[in-house]
Amino acid sequence: MNTLSETLNRLEEIVGEAHLLTATEAVAGYALEGQMPLAVAAPGTAEQAAALLQAASEAGLSVLLRGAGRHLHIGDPPSAIGLVVCLNRLDRIVEYDPDDLTITVEAGVTRQQLQRTAGQRGQMLPLDPPGPQTVTVGGVVAANLSGPLRTRHGAPRDLVLGVRAALTSGEIIHAGGRTVKNVAGYDLTKLFVGSFGSIGAITEATLRLTPRPEATALLAAVLPANTLDGAIAAIAASPLEIAAGEVLNPVAAARLGPSSLPSTPADSYLLCLGLAGPREAVAHQVQEAETMVGAECARIEGEQEAVIWDRLRALAYPRGPGAVLVRAALPISAVSHSLALVSARPGWSAVAHAAQGVIYASPGDQGDLPAVGETLGVLRAAAEQQGGYAVLESAPVEMKRQLPVWGTRTPNRDLMQALKQAYDPREVLGCGRFLC
Amino acid sequence: MLDRKLVKALARIVGRRYVLTQPADLVLYSYDSSTARGVPDAVVLPESTDQVARVVKLCAQRRIPFVARGAGTNLSGGSVALAGGIVIQLSRMNKVLELDLRNQRAVVQPGVVNLDLQDMLAPHGFQFCPDPASQKVSTIGGNVAENSGGPHCLKYGVTTNHVLGLTVVLPSGEVRQFGAGVLDPPGYDLVGLFIGSEGTFGIATEMILRLRPLPESVQVIVALFDQLEAAGEAVSRIIAAGIIATALEIMDRSTIQAVEASFPTGLPTDVEALLLIELDGAPQALDRQAERCAAICRELKAREVEIGRTAGERAKLWAARKSAFGATARLSPAMLVNDATVPRTRIPEVLRQIQEIERRHRLTIAKVFHAGDGNLHSNILFDRSDPDGLHRAEAASIEIFHAAADVGGTITGEHGIGAEKTAYLRLIFSAADIAVQRRLRAIFDPLGLANPGKVLPVEDAAATEGRAA
Repeated sequence: MNTLSETLNRLEEIVGEAHLLTATEAVAGYALEGQMPLAVAAPGTAEQAAALLQAASEAGLSVLLRGAGRHLHIGDPPSAIGLVVCLNRLDRIVEYDPDDLTITVEAGVTRQQLQRTAGQRGQMLPLDPPGPQTVTVGGVVAANLSGPLRTRHGAPRDLVLGVRAALTSGEIIHAGGRTVKNVAGYDLTKLFVGSFGSIGAITEATLRLTPRPEATALLAAVLPANTLDGAIAAIAASPLEIAAGEVLNPVAAARLGPSSLPSTPADSYLLCLGLAGPREAVAHQVQEAETMVGAECARIEGEQEAVIWDRLRALAYPRGPGAVLVRAALPISAVSHSLALVSARPGWSAVAHAAQGVIYASPGDQGDLPAVGETLGVLRAAAEQQGGYAVLESAPVEMKRQLPVWGTRTPNRDLMQALKQAYDPREVLGCGRFLC
Repeated sequence: MLDRKLVKALARIVGRRYVLTQPADLVLYSYDSSTARGVPDAVVLPESTDQVARVVKLCAQRRIPFVARGAGTNLSGGSVALAGGIVIQLSRMNKVLELDLRNQRAVVQPGVVNLDLQDMLAPHGFQFCPDPASQKVSTIGGNVAENSGGPHCLKYGVTTNHVLGLTVVLPSGEVRQFGAGVLDPPGYDLVGLFIGSEGTFGIATEMILRLRPLPESVQVIVALFDQLEAAGEAVSRIIAAGIIATALEIMDRSTIQAVEASFPTGLPTDVEALLLIELDGAPQALDRQAERCAAICRELKAREVEIGRTAGERAKLWAARKSAFGATARLSPAMLVNDATVPRTRIPEVLRQIQEIERRHRLTIAKVFHAGDGNLHSNILFDRSDPDGLHRAEAASIEIFHAAADVGGTITGEHGIGAEKTAYLRLIFSAADIAVQRRLRAIFDPLGLANPGKVLPVEDAAATEGRAA
């Protein structure tokens, strides 16, 4: 075992002095939930990333992988953090041929940067994860993040065709490929998607793109609580060009804000329905939507449309450091009941991607342990009873220590641990934040 | 390997009549739709997860290899018992256990035939998106094992995008639940890893499928071209126009001639290419989109363009494409199927190479493409009675793999590696890439009994790497 200073020297040789931080004041900005890293390294190439991982593994130094640091609130409180590896210098668009409807980018490319590149050719990455646009592609993939658009376009697990990744062995491997159809070998890409940096460092990803729709419409409707279930069922089963269907309880609707939206009284819900497709279809379906949801729909036009979608994405993101946020997934038929469970708790917002069966709930601030524990417990019990789950995505670190973050049961833990062992035998990656 | 004690043990699990050991029976299970052959020592036909688990456990105890099998339509040898052992035939497990339309889910057993499920769903306004060309006979279990595609996956994705959960009998005989009935459960994506593992990670005995509402309307456009390149260019322009077709299929002249020889549909046999475009969505927009596609084809000097709007018209336009594989198979006593896939923009250059390969090896290669996603089906016809026939066909197939790999493509888009392509994985994966895949397999199947000889190259020295994990 090397001494720490030998290890730090080795890290510095790999990335160069300018890209290794060790001074206390410099690394302080990378502290996570009270854990201060010993060093922060920013590799400029995948090869450097692999060398860093290998050096850390050999020295037994735990590694936290990081892109823009936008979703590090998800996970168990970290054990000691040895090295933070920041992948945001890997920010090249590697290959983009619009006619292939695919793009290959390095992990540190931000969503914003990718959308701008694709937008210039009339295309987009149909992923709209919660929170800021500065999230990196590596982060989106590692956390399998999606948003309202998942209803139509899927999640990273559906849209990532292949990845290049650095392993703790120092090897760089690639999984999958650049074509939409590819069944050559095992689908190892799936191991990296949603692995929260616990298997290896994703250095590059190839993603499917889609043409930007010709037309879009955002409709808002206020639904009395007793009609919500029927409306959700109708939306889910509809053959219309529905891109997203968001349902908000009155607290969430108030937090959403804009006065352009109808106000949502108690015992009712706000529905924000996104249509996207060919212009004749969207024009026609704006009318049909009213019949479908059984309520009057106001069309939100102009700049407000994009503003509201941004704010909707913000509702699924912590409102500040340590602000409590719970994500639950359940069958579509259980959404309205679960929304009601959360809404019965004073001050709790609840927003659902209704046709996906996904709900985000939040008291808006750090909450207090008994109230959060109770709401989480109620929502989790309702979800688990129906084969679903609830994850405490964000909370003050003391609260995370008291409440099971990922859930009360983890089926197949042995298999997952074997997977982790196979690719990270010294268990240095992830700092104990993920399940395994 | 097989003794009376084992046969008795198998019979105790599934019943005597569901254990086949007669040579005449075994030979029926010795092949699939590929060129691979392998006679099993026994065939068992279980009817439940529990029976499958007990059979697999017995295999694990006695170190006997086993191969799961559905309809046997596999095009890469995935369902053939290369090493002998036991074929676990899943056709009796053919029930739809639950239709939960409110939650857009169906729970099915592996032996359910894909098209039977579609027929059951359609009256309710739903579909299971994967639609492999073999869907009339191929089973959902096979679709899951192979991560099947089909024409419609251009718009809707492949099997892995439509499965929520699996009940899996691991190669140890243990029964596990992977995934759940909801989206994105925390933990590693075991469902995603299992799908497409070609029977080497165990046997899925129940699957929770994600259903999707049927589109409001569908239109089909067929255009005939005097140049194959023009059909390819039409595909590029349609995509550049921002139109997401549900299918973009091209058939070449050899394929059209094969169809007309076997199942005449009235197509002229002197055209070089047929392009089929299928669009779905809101009826208000489809007419304009279909006209736009037709105009693109006419600009590219299509000889004829026809639009089908009614179900009857559409079926007529699809008829030639749907019978392409069967018709081509009737044209020649033997056929090697290559489904190399390339980034769509590289289709023209790879196509030219395939034509050159065809000439050089004095072969007929009937080409049918899912052009929208770059999935090329090169059906290489040969004559087994020609001593050099299979050899030339294999040489041509290998050259096509190289051509695809050289432009960043892959050696199989939807048929699987199976027994036929293991040696060619190295064209697209490094030794390190293959080693990490091998570690994955060892986690699920440390004894190496589940469909041995498939997917990964066997001769690799690293074969035992990672087993300790």
